[in-house]
Amino acid sequence: MNCDDMQKSIPLYFYGELPPEDEERVEDHLDACEPCRGELERLRTLTAAFDRREMPLPDGMLENCREGLMDAIRAGTTPAAPPVADPRGPSFGERLSALMTALWGLRQPIGAVALLAIGYFSAQFSRGLTTQVVPDSGEPMVARVRSVQPDASGRVQISLEEVRNRVVSGRMDDGNIQRLLMAAARDESDPGVRVESVDILKDHAASAEVRAALLNSAAHDGNPGVRMKALEGLKSFAAEGEVRETLAQILLKDDNPGVRIQAIDMLTAHRDASVVGVLQNMVGKEDNTYVRWRCEKALKEMNASVGTF
Amino acid sequence: MAAGPRVAPRLDESSLIRAVQSGDRDAFEQLVRAYDHSVLRLAVNLLRSQEDAQDVYQEAFLRVYRNIHSFRFDCSFHTWLYRIVTNICLDHLRKKKVRKEEATVVDTAEGPVDRMDAFEENSAHADPERSMRNRQLGQRIESALAELTPRERMVFELRHYQGLRLRAIGEMLGTSEEAAKNCLFRTTQKMRAVLGDFV
Repeated sequence: MNCDDMQKSIPLYFYGELPPEDEERVEDHLDACEPCRGELERLRTLTAAFDRREMPLPDGMLENCREGLMDAIRAGTTPAAPPVADPRGPSFGERLSALMTALWGLRQPIGAVALLAIGYFSAQFSRGLTTQVVPDSGEPMVARVRSVQPDASGRVQISLEEVRNRVVSGRMDDGNIQRLLMAAARDESDPGVRVESVDILKDHAASAEVRAALLNSAAHDGNPGVRMKALEGLKSFAAEGEVRETLAQILLKDDNPGVRIQAIDMLTAHRDASVVGVLQNMVGKEDNTYVRWRCEKALKEMNASVGTF
Repeated sequence: MAAGPRVAPRLDESSLIRAVQSGDRDAFEQLVRAYDHSVLRLAVNLLRSQEDAQDVYQEAFLRVYRNIHSFRFDCSFHTWLYRIVTNICLDHLRKKKVRKEEATVVDTAEGPVDRMDAFEENSAHADPERSMRNRQLGQRIESALAELTPRERMVFELRHYQGLRLRAIGEMLGTSEEAAKNCLFRTTQKMRAVLGDFV
């Protein structure tokens, strides 16, 4: 390691951020190099000066903040959206969610089965609603053997989980159909099912629940096609705070240039100060020339500096 | 250097989060108390304004409250919370940068205070020459900080004052550990450039 290499390594060494092997190399060099030891010492002095700049929290400030926060929550300005427990027992959605969790936990290639299994549950919990359940004549499918217990008589007791195929149909204004589609939109094993589900859901983003599902797909789905469809559904809501936050995250994190461009278009369709910072940030870190150019163009159109930070 | 954030034990924290997700407001309050000291310290130190820091505190935890149902345990709650907090702080820093409001006087509950005073000797009998030098050093430090981009400020703040690892910082800021390392390196370089003759 030479003195030039040390320039970058000294701050990382000082903050304990070097891997052990590099740390040893730095220490070997420091033992033999007076100027680099001086450099490290200067950094120590510099950071010690910064320590003195730290502002202590004024007395009572934390308590005031806590009170203000809880007052705002009590005032109901921002209701949380957790599911409310139903005294009659778990709701359709909760059972569905539990089933999905269980099925995803199986780690088996049962994507399509999972969707149909939801149909089974919907049959159990949606009677009397508008969802039509078409029985399937097929045999139950074994998803998992949970335990095997031999007894003294030579018989074996096997506990297994099984799922049955069912077909359900209904209109999109049926909440159960919407929930099935939202669950399908999260079915990690089958991008095809996700694309089709999101494609249908995108026309129903007026529902807050559907919008939340589209936001989730836009930000987290592994398939760019699904992400694009989800963004399409959110276009009419691009002025909303939560949508804009997600768009900003997508812009900074999504690895697909097409998706990033879509996010730029949606963000810049409703201009506000926060877009400027996001776009400036993008200009600094964007590798794709076209996407960078689009950011710069949008900034110029907003009369904002293209300068990065 | 400051210690890292005070974190509730993981097991308790998961139960707390689940309780909050099912609508338990007391659990939310407990969750807030596990983290809010470090959040407020970050905001105060970074924004140098009690008012702005209080805004950040409230906005961040209200966002947590509104969106906790979407937290799926695919990262630590600390990382998730700090993504929210750092985003809000970065927005504030960008606005400050645009407004060029990096004055040395900050507002406090006791009225405006010149932050250069922090660099003065506490003793009434302090060496005047040393006191003057400390004051100049304080001014240079503010100039050095003004040279940093909001993101560099944030990385330095999280690493130096909050004691977080660069890997965690990268995760919070949506970038890689390597990018966070480069950012910290640039920061120390800029500081050296401005403060070179003082240290």
